[in-house]
Amino acid sequence: MRRGPHLFRLVLRLFPAPFRDRFGDDMEAAYRQARADAAGLGRRDLLQFWAGVAFDALLRAPGEHMRMTVHDLRYAARALRHAPTYTLVAIATLALGIGANTAIFSIVHAVALQPLPSRDPSRLVRIWEKNDSLRIPQFSASIPNYLSWRERARSFDSIGGWRQNSATLTTGGDPQRLTRLEATASVFPLLGIQPLAGRPFTAGEDRPGAARVALLAESVWRTRFGARADVVGSSVALDGVPHTVIGLVRDREMVVRFDVIVPLAADAARESRSNHVFTAIGRLRDGVTLRQAQQEMDAISVQLGRDYPADDQGWGVTMATFYDWIVPAQVRNSLYVLLACVGLVLLIACTNLANLMLARTAVNRREQAVRLALGASRARVVRETLTESVLVAVAGGGAGVLLAAWTIPVFRAQLTAVLPRADGIALSTPVLLFAGAVSVLTGVLFGALPAYFNSRRAIVDALKDGGRTGAAQHGRARHALVVAELALATIVLAAAALLLESFVRLQKVDLGFQPARLTTAMLGLPPARYPDHAAGWGFYSRTLQALAASPGVEAAALSSGAPLGGGNTSLGMRAVGASALGTQELQADWRMVSADYFRTMGIPLLRGRPFDDGDREGGQTAIILSQDMARRFWPNDDPIGRSITSGNGKLTMTVVGVAGDVRNLNQAIDPRPTLYISTSQFLFPVMTFVVRTQGDQPIAGVIRKTVDAVDPQLAVFNVRTFDTLLETNVAQPRVTAWLFGMFAVLALALAAIGVYGVLACLVAQRTREIGVRLALGAPPSTVRRLVVAHSLRLSVTGIAIGAAAALAVGPALQSQLFAITPRDPLTLAGVCAGLLGLALMASYVPSRRATRVDPLAALRAE
Amino acid sequence: MTNIDIEARRLLPLPPAVLHILITLGEGAKHGYAVMQEVADRTGGEVRMSPGTLYGSIRKMLEDGLIEESFHRGGDDERRRYYRLTRFGRAVAAAEAERLAALLHHARLNGLVPRRS
Repeated sequence: MRRGPHLFRLVLRLFPAPFRDRFGDDMEAAYRQARADAAGLGRRDLLQFWAGVAFDALLRAPGEHMRMTVHDLRYAARALRHAPTYTLVAIATLALGIGANTAIFSIVHAVALQPLPSRDPSRLVRIWEKNDSLRIPQFSASIPNYLSWRERARSFDSIGGWRQNSATLTTGGDPQRLTRLEATASVFPLLGIQPLAGRPFTAGEDRPGAARVALLAESVWRTRFGARADVVGSSVALDGVPHTVIGLVRDREMVVRFDVIVPLAADAARESRSNHVFTAIGRLRDGVTLRQAQQEMDAISVQLGRDYPADDQGWGVTMATFYDWIVPAQVRNSLYVLLACVGLVLLIACTNLANLMLARTAVNRREQAVRLALGASRARVVRETLTESVLVAVAGGGAGVLLAAWTIPVFRAQLTAVLPRADGIALSTPVLLFAGAVSVLTGVLFGALPAYFNSRRAIVDALKDGGRTGAAQHGRARHALVVAELALATIVLAAAALLLESFVRLQKVDLGFQPARLTTAMLGLPPARYPDHAAGWGFYSRTLQALAASPGVEAAALSSGAPLGGGNTSLGMRAVGASALGTQELQADWRMVSADYFRTMGIPLLRGRPFDDGDREGGQTAIILSQDMARRFWPNDDPIGRSITSGNGKLTMTVVGVAGDVRNLNQAIDPRPTLYISTSQFLFPVMTFVVRTQGDQPIAGVIRKTVDAVDPQLAVFNVRTFDTLLETNVAQPRVTAWLFGMFAVLALALAAIGVYGVLACLVAQRTREIGVRLALGAPPSTVRRLVVAHSLRLSVTGIAIGAAAALAVGPALQSQLFAITPRDPLTLAGVCAGLLGLALMASYVPSRRATRVDPLAALRAE
Repeated sequence: MTNIDIEARRLLPLPPAVLHILITLGEGAKHGYAVMQEVADRTGGEVRMSPGTLYGSIRKMLEDGLIEESFHRGGDDERRRYYRLTRFGRAVAAAEAERLAALLHHARLNGLVPRRS
């Protein structure tokens, strides 16, 4: 029986507090009476009674909440209409803050949070080979090793993969170079790929000698074949070899970029176990963890090392989930750091707005005091204040979403080539939900402190002493907010300064060659028409001669991989005879280059000679080493005339020269040991022309015409200047530095406004005191010093806290920085000095205003 | 037609709960539970208002000016709030009654309801 009233009070809590305050007692009295009248009811009727009470409350309470919210929204809108300056400033500030957060979240969502398109991606893994002694953490697999894994491993439902190369398509238009994947039939079920049209190839078609079939990417089907329905079933020529198109695949369904997929048709007898060209993937069997699969593959690697010691000894396997492969931890971390930074900027904006709102509540204190004295509940006042702040925040959020909608296509265009999955950056539903949630949270955050001050009963007492006590407490709160604001701004500025400095250093790094006026163009020779080295070198040497003689061309050369071009070829090498490394292998990058390569690239030849006509196919294999590689083998001896052998001992090469070190992979990675082989002795299936022009004129047309004149069936592709290559390589650091710079400017502006606001308030509050000082003969400079000293106190405190925090969280930025540490003292000192200067500048106007206080007017106001 | 009558018609049709409360308060000021009891008695138990429905309606009727709090206090509980009709409330009740009477008249004419003898 006693539980009844207690239960009813619980039910009453469903109603809004103001409703309960007004009608709660009466409702409880009515309940007691109804309950007393129902005293003689049986259990069933009593349950019905309670069900009725609860149902009635559940039905009515939401309506009361809604009504109250609509009322509060109208009240808030009216209040905001009467304060247009505050409202506009608040909405504009929040539009910038929430818009920036929404835009950055759209990037984070597309790259790091969106599920992968494959079927059940959590069970998919990427499988690499590795070699700890050669310091290779991840390397492509060899096809024979993949075949051995397929035979021996039990941890996978299915295992497959592809080899990537290129082929020239000559059907349907001018010769066009396509990115080709030679894939196993198992790739389609592994990834859950359903062709857009047609079918995937079968295991029967994935065998040497089977009929040649191909699947085209949807983008190729649309751009090359005009989305014709009859493409499936037609024949296309790849490198001159006819293939039947059996299907079309959506570009996004394959996890790597591609134009055409053909069967791998692996022939174990013809593939080398040392040739690491295969991207292997697998789907874990149900119940098998990644760790268990790793253990099994470790054991299989040991077996393979024993079975094939020349190729596989020392080689192991490492695996990662698809997600960790496609979105590496470094990329994710840089995005989260970016999101954290833009979150800090929003926090600074919230602090500013809280300050603004506190200034408004100071003005409205009398009205609030009267309301509280007349019985308005605290909860009501808090609710009204928060409704106003949330309304402003949602309006700011709406404007912010519009801003984000405008910037998101720009991000997508800039970042697609730089970040994985960036082509999916969009204002999607999750991003809009994020914007909504951030708007509401922001409103609550910046309204919380003013709501607290507004609703305190002490507000009534505070007015008895002319409001001085309340004003003082408000002032302390506002000062604390400004200190917090300056601390946050210090962190954001420190991060931005470090990233900017890092980017500048990256751009100035010595590449080891001269990138100005250099253009690259790639070309692959179809094996059917260029079956051996003689045929291939015949073509290349004629083309090089013609290019070098073209007007406007200073020099032309050939390489199997120009610097910064993407991709890499490397091999374990061992010195023949005595060397500092003994019998230990050194993993070195290798390139096949023509004789004029070093002159064309501006790479200094430090010792020995360049390649020449004496270096012929079939003769002694001449090599030129990079300086670093030569020093590692023979730090104290002349390397010329020494010999090096490839890891499997199949090729012995003689050193004829030493060249300067080159950053082959990208600007941020130090030069690696590199070995150059002459193209007159060896060629790679795809080679790169490197052409230096005399002026800045574009040379792509000349290269295409020259190649066309020698063989019209060949297609040159990836024609790029080195300026473009350099820009592409620094695109991500540039975008990051630019974004952080923008956030820093925003943070600076907000911090300056915050300091100005608080000092202006201080001068207004101490007008009487200042008037008295001036009246008693104090020079204006004293008053100015008063304001400036106050500004300094706030700034030094805030900046000191921010600097300490920046030092603490700095290491999170390490992976984004080049040639600078996250705790670089000069950078941090510069940031602190800059912020201090800004705070002093922000105090200029308030301090001048203070010196212009009319002492008589100030005293009369008393 | 006076301005009050024009304003009153703007609130029509009334929700049933509001009309029941207006009718009950037509006799004089009453507190909430008394209204609940009388409505139940008058309708033979067919209409039973829960506290949520009653006080939600009272809150709306106070805002619309149909009723006001009375300072009359009954003997059973001094702490309870009593409510009475305002002039506007009477006008609204009368307008709703007229509207329903007109509906009943037409229903009788069309044979949907037996005519009174």
